[in-house]
Amino acid sequence: MAEKEQLLEEMRKAVIEFDEDRVKELANRWIELGYDANEAIFEGLAAGMEVVGELFAKNEYFVPEVLMCADALYAGLDILRPHIKAEDRTETKGVVVIGTVEGDVHDIGKNLVKLMFEVAGFEVHDLGKDVPLEKFVEEQLRTDADLVCLSAMMTTTMPGMKKVIEMLRERNPNVKIMIGGAPVSEKTVEMYGADATGKDAASALEEAIRMVSSLREMKRRKEI
Amino acid sequence: MTPKERVMNTLEKRRVDRVPAFSGMGNVTVAGMRKHGIDFASSHADAGLMATLACSTYELFRFECAVVPFDLCVEAEALGCEVNFYAGKSSILYPTIKTKVLRVGEELSIPEDLLERGRIPLVQEAISLCRERLNGEVAVGSYVLGPFTLAGQLIDLNDLLKSSFKKPAQVKALLEQLVEPLAEIANSYAESGADYITVREMGAPSDVISPRMFKTLVQPYLKETIARIKAPTILHMCGDTNMLVEMLHECGASAISVEQKNDVLATRSKLGEEAVILGNLDAYGVIVKGTSSEVEQAVKQAIEAGVDGVMPGCDIWPEVPEENMHALMQAVERYGVR
Repeated sequence: MAEKEQLLEEMRKAVIEFDEDRVKELANRWIELGYDANEAIFEGLAAGMEVVGELFAKNEYFVPEVLMCADALYAGLDILRPHIKAEDRTETKGVVVIGTVEGDVHDIGKNLVKLMFEVAGFEVHDLGKDVPLEKFVEEQLRTDADLVCLSAMMTTTMPGMKKVIEMLRERNPNVKIMIGGAPVSEKTVEMYGADATGKDAASALEEAIRMVSSLREMKRRKEI
Repeated sequence: MTPKERVMNTLEKRRVDRVPAFSGMGNVTVAGMRKHGIDFASSHADAGLMATLACSTYELFRFECAVVPFDLCVEAEALGCEVNFYAGKSSILYPTIKTKVLRVGEELSIPEDLLERGRIPLVQEAISLCRERLNGEVAVGSYVLGPFTLAGQLIDLNDLLKSSFKKPAQVKALLEQLVEPLAEIANSYAESGADYITVREMGAPSDVISPRMFKTLVQPYLKETIARIKAPTILHMCGDTNMLVEMLHECGASAISVEQKNDVLATRSKLGEEAVILGNLDAYGVIVKGTSSEVEQAVKQAIEAGVDGVMPGCDIWPEVPEENMHALMQAVERYGVR
């Protein structure tokens, strides 16, 4: 038991210190010992990334560091994922469509949020960057997504999000919409009629889980 | 005083009758597009349309400058990147880079005839046309990217940012290589008649990289670029610049320009009275989405905090309400008299 805890602790540390090789080593060791892959993903990798988010918020880490931590996390995820138990696999938290709006080719923030969604067990449909606005609506309908996440890094592309939100609301008033990116604030959420924004990947994820569960609750009530 | 005298005096820290309101970045409006029947996507590829549109913001609202080009792809395009102009789209989209031409560590080849490449000649022509049209009354501005931001157009941003940490020597070698071409482009704009040149290093605020990395990796090349530009310069950076203002000031531009995240009062006390500080209106949240009285308040606050020139913190989104542009100018006239 002590070894298990220690492995998790080291895994968190290796993610925080963006030591990709160490993360791989630890993930392999974890599997060799026959421990639960899901536990390592949540208590090791994701928990480490949470600390990274805090360091970013405190101006100790900046974007390059966070990107390297994300690489370390991915390295561990690749090893652990094939070992997730079947019963954990079927239980997706929700379906998400994510992308950066047309005119904007920045995808770093979007990719970090996507990573957190994947780790948390969401089914993620990533449309990429510079995505034509109608495409978000089509993809939401096609996948029956619970949540649509829109990203814009520039004030000059932010207005595109408003159009997507209007189109989405028209077709599917219940879908939850999250917007994010450097110029986005709580005020933007209100102005555009979105449901939430996350100031970083970890808080975006927290918001998403909250929104999807409220949406599921609403669906259940309708069925009853 | 003419608007041009007001702007140029401000950049040279000489006396003005009132604080000017102008920009070092894009400031065209849908009102201007409508008035001249110009569609945004085609204005990037036609010097005449570009100049007409650039001058329209002054002609319609008295906003005190004309700035070309409108997009951030000119230098990268001249160095071989393919640009998406979003032709035929009904909504306003700024051109973006479609294909990256380089990876960190690869050799960048800079064409001998760089100044003939892409749209550089077109921008030069648009500058001359603006100058003719405004007849010396209004300052004509143009801009280039800073070396680090240009590197982010040429190289995948993930690659650039991680390499900035892992392989700084390779990134520095590239930035060093970009100094001369950027200065050459800027100087060719000045020769065509640009009164001032903005260097936009918006890829390096402390929202993105650490102040330490700014100092070792970004600042040296920014400084070198600015030193080689033979015209008054504005160094612009958006995002969080509170930890960086001293270093920005050290880069040696005639003025620094900051956005709404900057605490101008604190910046003024850090840099002293001699520094020329421009800013710090929220270019979208207030100028476009605010009410006219919010615009007025923002202008008043910026002047009270100590800006030498009222400037939007970024390109003005073209769908700006006409009444807000008028409110901006009225507020400058009301609160900016010296």
